[in-house]
Amino acid sequence: MKFSFSWLKEHLDTQLNAIEISEKLTSIGLEVESFNDASLAFRDFIVAEVIEEKKHPNADKLKLCLVDTGKEKVDVVCGAPNVEKGMKVVYAPPGSIIPVNQMKLKVSKIRGVESQGMMCSEYELGISDEHDGIIRLDDSVKVGSSYAEISGMNDTFFEIGITPNRQDCLGVSGISRDLSASKSGNYLRKEFSKIDGSFDSPVDVKIEDQVMCPAFASRYIKNVKNCESPDWLKSKLKSIGLRPISALVDITNYVMYDQNRPLHVYDADKINKNIIVRSAKDKETLKALDEKEYALSKGMCVIADDMSPLGLGGIMGGESTGCSENTTNVLLESALFDPINTAKTGRKLSILSDARYRFERGIDPLSVIRGIDQASQLISEICGGEFSHTVVSGSIDDTKKSFEISVNKINKRLGLSIEKSEVIEILSSLGIECKEAGEKINCVIPTWRQDIDCEADISEEIIRIKGYDFIPQSNIRSSKKINESILNYRQKNLSKAKRYIASLGYNELVTYSFANSKDCNFFGNIDNLRIVNPISEDQDILRPSLIPNLLNAIKKNQSRDIENFEIFEAGSQYTSSTPGDQFNSVVGLKSGINKKKSWRHAEQQYDVYDIKNDIVNLIDYLIPNQKKITLDDESPEWMHPGRSASIILNKKIRLGYFGELHPRVIKSFKIKNKVNAFELLIDQMPESARKLNSKVDINLSEFQSVKRDFAFVVDQHIRALDLEESAKKVDKDLIRDVEIFDIFEDESLGPNKKSMAIKVTIQASDRTLKDNEIQDICSKIVKSIEKSTSGSVRS
Amino acid sequence: MQNYKDLEKNIEKDFSSVSSLETLQEFRLSYLGKKGKISLLMKELSSLDADQRKENAEQLNILKGKILELIDTKDNELQELILNEKLETEKIDLTLNVESKQGTIHPITQVVDEVIEIFGDLDFFVAEGPEVETDYNNFTALNTSENHPARQMHDTFYVKTETDGMPNVLRTHTSPVQIRSMLEQQPPIRLIAPGKTFRCDNDQTHTPMFHQVEGLVIDEESNMSHLKGCLEIFLKSFFETSELKMRFRPSHFPFTEPSAEVDIAYTRKGNQLIIGDGKEWLEVLGCGMVHPNVLRNVDINPDQFQGYAFGMGIERLAMLKYGISDLRTFFDNDLRWNKHYGFQPLNTPSILRDLS
Repeated sequence: MKFSFSWLKEHLDTQLNAIEISEKLTSIGLEVESFNDASLAFRDFIVAEVIEEKKHPNADKLKLCLVDTGKEKVDVVCGAPNVEKGMKVVYAPPGSIIPVNQMKLKVSKIRGVESQGMMCSEYELGISDEHDGIIRLDDSVKVGSSYAEISGMNDTFFEIGITPNRQDCLGVSGISRDLSASKSGNYLRKEFSKIDGSFDSPVDVKIEDQVMCPAFASRYIKNVKNCESPDWLKSKLKSIGLRPISALVDITNYVMYDQNRPLHVYDADKINKNIIVRSAKDKETLKALDEKEYALSKGMCVIADDMSPLGLGGIMGGESTGCSENTTNVLLESALFDPINTAKTGRKLSILSDARYRFERGIDPLSVIRGIDQASQLISEICGGEFSHTVVSGSIDDTKKSFEISVNKINKRLGLSIEKSEVIEILSSLGIECKEAGEKINCVIPTWRQDIDCEADISEEIIRIKGYDFIPQSNIRSSKKINESILNYRQKNLSKAKRYIASLGYNELVTYSFANSKDCNFFGNIDNLRIVNPISEDQDILRPSLIPNLLNAIKKNQSRDIENFEIFEAGSQYTSSTPGDQFNSVVGLKSGINKKKSWRHAEQQYDVYDIKNDIVNLIDYLIPNQKKITLDDESPEWMHPGRSASIILNKKIRLGYFGELHPRVIKSFKIKNKVNAFELLIDQMPESARKLNSKVDINLSEFQSVKRDFAFVVDQHIRALDLEESAKKVDKDLIRDVEIFDIFEDESLGPNKKSMAIKVTIQASDRTLKDNEIQDICSKIVKSIEKSTSGSVRS
Repeated sequence: MQNYKDLEKNIEKDFSSVSSLETLQEFRLSYLGKKGKISLLMKELSSLDADQRKENAEQLNILKGKILELIDTKDNELQELILNEKLETEKIDLTLNVESKQGTIHPITQVVDEVIEIFGDLDFFVAEGPEVETDYNNFTALNTSENHPARQMHDTFYVKTETDGMPNVLRTHTSPVQIRSMLEQQPPIRLIAPGKTFRCDNDQTHTPMFHQVEGLVIDEESNMSHLKGCLEIFLKSFFETSELKMRFRPSHFPFTEPSAEVDIAYTRKGNQLIIGDGKEWLEVLGCGMVHPNVLRNVDINPDQFQGYAFGMGIERLAMLKYGISDLRTFFDNDLRWNKHYGFQPLNTPSILRDLS
C-alpha cells in the first residue's frame, strides 16, 4: 500500500517527521518496504524561463538558450526539440543530482559552448518514461520557485506491506488510526457532510442472497458531469501510482484508498430497470472493466439488472455500465460482500482487483454509509448533480465482537509482566472497549478490526503497540533433556553417506524434485506422479528417480565443455503423489576420464569397477560389522543388462545397484560418454536393535605365509567369484586370500576361452607349513578349480 | 715401531693415492688381503723368538688398526661423495602437478548440517515429514482455512491424488511437520524440521523448490522471551559472531499469534556483507507463539500448553553467510559453481571445533 506523508497528515496530527513515522510504522507491524523523500530528490530543481533561444554554432540539433532562473540569467545548451522562447521549464543548476541516473551535474562544454546546468524531461526526473522533450510548465508558475513545491512532489512517499490480517490498514485513514494508538499523533477522524436526497432512487435494489451480500447501499445521482478530475485529486492518485481516468472513477478510487471503502458507480442509463444481487447462473458471462470476458458459474455473486449481470459483487464492475465522459445519470454503490465467497469467486476467475483484495479480507460494515457520504460530497463538488435519498437494501450488521481476556495469561504468553492498567490503556488506544472483571478484562472489539478473535490476538495487539523490543531474552537451556537423540538412524546414515561419497571425490548436486515425464520412460509408471500445475512442461512430474535429473546435469555441463563427472545426489524420489510415497536414495555417477593422460601415466576411463568399489565401500562404511554382501544379476531396466548388478545384504535385502547405464538411456539424454552409476536405497539399511560395535576376531598368525600363482584356461562365462570360491573351499583355514591378478584372451587359448591367473596366500596359524603340505594344497586347488569350471591349469 | 718405519711410510704414501672405492679396495687388499703386506708380515712372525714376536705383533696390530681406520674414514667419505653426486642427478621438477580429485558437499547440505548442529546442542531433535502433503496438514490444521488470503500468497503446487476430498499439495513450507509431530508426540516437544518446500514461482529471487527449517517448542511455559533467547543463540552461533543486533517486528502468520519477523543488522563493505552490526536490516526469519487453534487441531490443550515456532530459508542463510549472490545458482548444477561454493567433505560442522 502506497501513500504520501501529506495524505497521512490529513488523518494524523503528528509532530513526528517522515523518518520517525517510517520507523513507527515498521515497529507496529506495518512494514515500510520503501521510503522515498522526494523533496530531497527534487530539492535543487527550479522553475525557470527560456528568454532567448538560438542555434548552437557548432551543432545542428542543439540549441543555445538564455535561461532566467529568477536569480540570474545563464546559458544552457539544450537538445530537446520542443524548447522555445518564453517556455517555463524545470531547470537543474550545476551541482544538482539527476534522479534517473544519480549523476551530479557539472558545468561543461558541449560542442565548444559552455552549458550552465540543464533543462529536464520527465524521464530525467524519474517521473515517467517521457523523454522526447523537456517538461513544459504552466505559464502561471513563478520563475525561481521550487519545482518540488509547485509539482506536489515536496513530499515523502511510503510503501508498506500489509499482512493479510490487517484489513483495517488498507486505507490511509486506518493507517493513521493505528499510528495514533502508538502515540505517534492524534487521529483526525474525517466527518462528511450529508447531502440530502431530493427524490427517491428510481432503481430498486433487491438482494436475493443475504449471505453473499448482506447490505447494498445506493444512491441515484442525476445530471452529473463526468469531467476530468481537479489537480489535487489527480496528483493524489498519481502519487500512489494510479492513473487518473475521469472524475467519477477517480473519486471511487480515492475513497477506497482514503477510507478503505470500495465503491462502484454505474452508468444508470445503461441499467435495465432494477438491480438484483444474486448468484450467477451457470453459462452466464460478463465482460468486465478489464475488457475480459468471464464465464460465470453458480455461487458467484453478481450485481444484475433485469436482463443480465452488470458486475461481480466485490470484485469488478462490468463494461456495459461503465462510466464514460457522456455519462449523466449514475447509481453509486457502497455494499458489503461475503469475504469467503469473494475469495472463491476471485480465485476461480483469477481476477485480482483492489476491491476483491479488500472484501476478501473483510470490510468494516460501518464504512458503508460513510463511504456513500464521502463520495456524494466529492461528486457534488466536482461533478455536480442531483442526489436521491440513500437506500440501504439488506442490513448492516454492526454488532461488535466481545470476549474476556486474562492479563496473567497474556503475560505468560509474552514473557512479560505488564500491569492491567497498561493493558487497558493500550487496548483503549486501539478502540477496544475494556471492562474490568477482576483479573480479567472484557474486550469489545471495534467493527474495523475483523481480525481480532481471541486472547492470543489481544496479546499481539499489546506487544505490537508496546514494542517487541520490550520482550526480554530468556535462557532456553534446561537441565532436563527432552530428546534421546537428535538424528534417527536413517538421518544419520544419509548424512554420513553424503560426506563419505564426497570424500571419494564426488560433487554433491541438489536438483529439483521435479522431472520431465519425457525423460522418465525408463523409470516405470509415471502417471501417478503428475503435477496439476507444473511450473513448466519439462518439470511436469515428481521425480521417480534421481537419475534423469543427474543425467540432465551432465548434459548441461557437457555444453559448458565439462566432460568428466563425479557427481552424486542424496534425496527423495517418489513412487506416487500420495503423501509418504517417497524414499531416500543416494545416486552417484562417474563418467568420462578417471585419470587424464599425463606425463606420469596413460589415460584411464571410469568403468563399472570404480563405481562398484565406491558403493561397496560406502556400505562398508555405513554398516561395518557382521554383514554379508552378495551380488545378484537382477538390475533395473535403465542399466546395461550385462554390466550391472544388485547388491544384496545378508541374502535378504536389496540395498542398491551399480553398473553402466543402458546405452539407450545415455543416447536419449545425448550424453557423449558412458555413465557408470550406483544407487543406494539407503532407507533399506536395517537398523539393529543394538548397534553392533564389536568386530569379528582377527587371527594374526606369526608363521610364514606362502604365495602361489596359478593360471587356468576357462570358458568365457566363468567369473572371478567362481575361481575364488573354488580355491577357498579347499581349506578355509589355510587359504587366507585368493586374488585374480590377470585375465587375458587369445586365439591360441581356443574359441570362447580365456586365461585367468590367481594368486593364493596360504598360511597356518599354528606352524610353518612344510613343503609337502603346500604341494598338497596347491594340487587340491588346481583340481577343485578344474572341476568346478571345467577348465584346465596352464603350466 | 722401529722395525716397520718404512712400512708405515709406504702405507701413508699408498693411502694418499686412494681416490675411489676401487683404489680403496686395492689399498685394503695390498695390506690386509691374504697376500697383503701386513698379512705376510704376520705370517713371518712365527720365525721370531717370543719377545720379538710379541713386540712385532703389537706393532703390526697397531698398523693394521690404523689402516682399518683409514679405510673406514675414507669409505664413508667416498660413499658420501657418491651419494651427493647421485642426489644431484636425482633432482626433479617439483613444479609439475598430478591430478587430485576433491569432492564437495553442496551448500544446502552444509548449512542444514550447521543448523542441526546448533539446535542439536540446544536439545532439539530433527523431525521429518513427506514433501507431498495433505491440504489439511499444509494449511487447514495450521489455522489457514480454505479461503484465507494467506493461501493466495503461497502459490501452491497440486498433485492428482486427494485426501478427504481435497487435492494433495507439495508442501509450501515445513510447517506441516509441526502438525505431524504434535499428533505423534505429547509435549514437551522441541524439534527442528529441515526440508524441501515448493511454490509455483520462478524468477530472479524465487525457485520452485527451496529449503526451509522449521522449529517448534511446546511445553507449559515457553513464551516469547524464550523465542527471543532461542533465536539469539541460533543467529549468533550460525553467523559465528558474538555481536549480533537483532530486531523483532510484528508480522502475521495464520499459525502463530503474536507473530514476528526477525531482522539482523549488517554493514556493506564493497561486495561483502558484514553481519551483526550496522544501520541496515536484513530479514532472516519468521516466528511467533503457536496459535491456540493449531494446538486445538492436534488435541493439545492450549490452556495447559504453549510454545513457539519459527521458520527460515536455508538458501537465504547460505547466501548471507557465504556470500552467494544468486538464489537460482543453487539448483543450476553448474559443476564450476559446485566446486567453487561447495564444502570439503571433512568440514562437518561441529560445536566443539568450528561450525564452518
